[in-house]
Amino acid sequence: MAVKSEVKKKKIVIQTIMYGAITAALYAAVFSFANPITELFSRGGFYAALPIATVFVFSFAHGAFTSNLWSVLGIVAITKRPTERPTVSVPRPTQRPRARLRMSA
Amino acid sequence: MTDHALEAVKFIDLTWMNVSFLFIVGFIGGLVSGFIGSGGAFVLTPAMMSLGVPAAVAVASNMCHKFPKAMVGAYKRFKYGQVDLKLGVVMAASATVGVQAGIKIQEMILTKWGEAGSNLYVSLSFVVVLLFVGGYVFYDAWKSSKSEGGDPVPKLARRLQAINLPPMIHFKTANLTISLWFTIPVGFATGLLAATIAVGGFVGVPGMIYVIGASGLISSASELVIAFLMGLGGTVKWAMHGMVDIRLTLIILAGSLLGVQLGAIGTTYVKENMIKVVMGTIMLIVAVSRALAVPQYLTQLGLMSADQTLLSILDMVSFATMCLALAIGAVIIIGGMIKGKRAELAAQMAESYEHV
Repeated sequence: MAVKSEVKKKKIVIQTIMYGAITAALYAAVFSFANPITELFSRGGFYAALPIATVFVFSFAHGAFTSNLWSVLGIVAITKRPTERPTVSVPRPTQRPRARLRMSA
Repeated sequence: MTDHALEAVKFIDLTWMNVSFLFIVGFIGGLVSGFIGSGGAFVLTPAMMSLGVPAAVAVASNMCHKFPKAMVGAYKRFKYGQVDLKLGVVMAASATVGVQAGIKIQEMILTKWGEAGSNLYVSLSFVVVLLFVGGYVFYDAWKSSKSEGGDPVPKLARRLQAINLPPMIHFKTANLTISLWFTIPVGFATGLLAATIAVGGFVGVPGMIYVIGASGLISSASELVIAFLMGLGGTVKWAMHGMVDIRLTLIILAGSLLGVQLGAIGTTYVKENMIKVVMGTIMLIVAVSRALAVPQYLTQLGLMSADQTLLSILDMVSFATMCLALAIGAVIIIGGMIKGKRAELAAQMAESYEHV
């Protein structure tokens, strides 16, 4: 059991490093050419697709990195049993169930 | 398109101070958004403007970061079984109409009373809506924290759910059935507010809780779906006018993706009531912040006279109060998470002792 969780932890660490490297590379790429990229992305019209596609790519890489990072730091969701919302008190039936006669032979 | 970005020299130079400031505000905004489904945007736009970013670029760049952040938050909370996708999509559809109506109202006010009139309308909307809705959310959170029975379905929602007005829609995750006609006004109001104060969630989430009858957890998670769809639509519009400063967007996104994940995880650490506490607190403080900005616009419209120094102090205090609202929200969330984690550890310890 402990071995299994160790392997899982190692896998998360590797994924964090991998996505972290991808995110860092993406940020470095954009900010190394910040001025021409900003100029190109703000031309309007069909160039609107560029900033939108960029944020999708960044949110995939950076989103995966941050998700793994919190897991590595031990901040993971607590799985709780879903609680039923209290409902209004059910009105009592106005009629009593009829008494039945049971005959046993 | 003639309004290309660099022609108007609207992009600021970035310094390490600017970058750090935007990253931190992005992180806190993301944390709050991940937790209550909205928020953050109302501080980010003025924060960017305080650095010298023109209003249109600030709004566009903020919106361009908002929809991927909401997408990541919604995905995370979907994995926890908190998102009602159908509820989010139905609400977003009517919210789109609300946004158009909101823009029309804004245009009318702008034509009639100019920029100061428009700013006054925005600030008064902030004050009135946030004071009433936020006040009620806070009161309800306080009331349910006192009661032992948990978080029951509100009376109004129960009554509306009982009315059989076709088409009736069943929302599986939210576990409720309600007429489409009752979801439309909530979505419309969300869009109207989003077009006015940029944070539709301040009406959307309470609307889903008190009118539709979804729980706070489901409402705040489904609000992220609405934010994603509306944010994407808004970004397409702004980007087609070349208003997005991708550098600002990516810096905020770097912080907010860290925050939104933490906020989403945080919802599993705390009692459901906590979402209402955070939302009500932030709304009430923001209402105060906007109330402080009202004298400035009244003076600009010639409806009152005030000393310029006093007005600039009020403006600074208003911005600081807005940042404070976000910071207090973040402190409550992190505090709640620490408390939740401790309780979980204590429960684990007790369980392990029982097994010994």
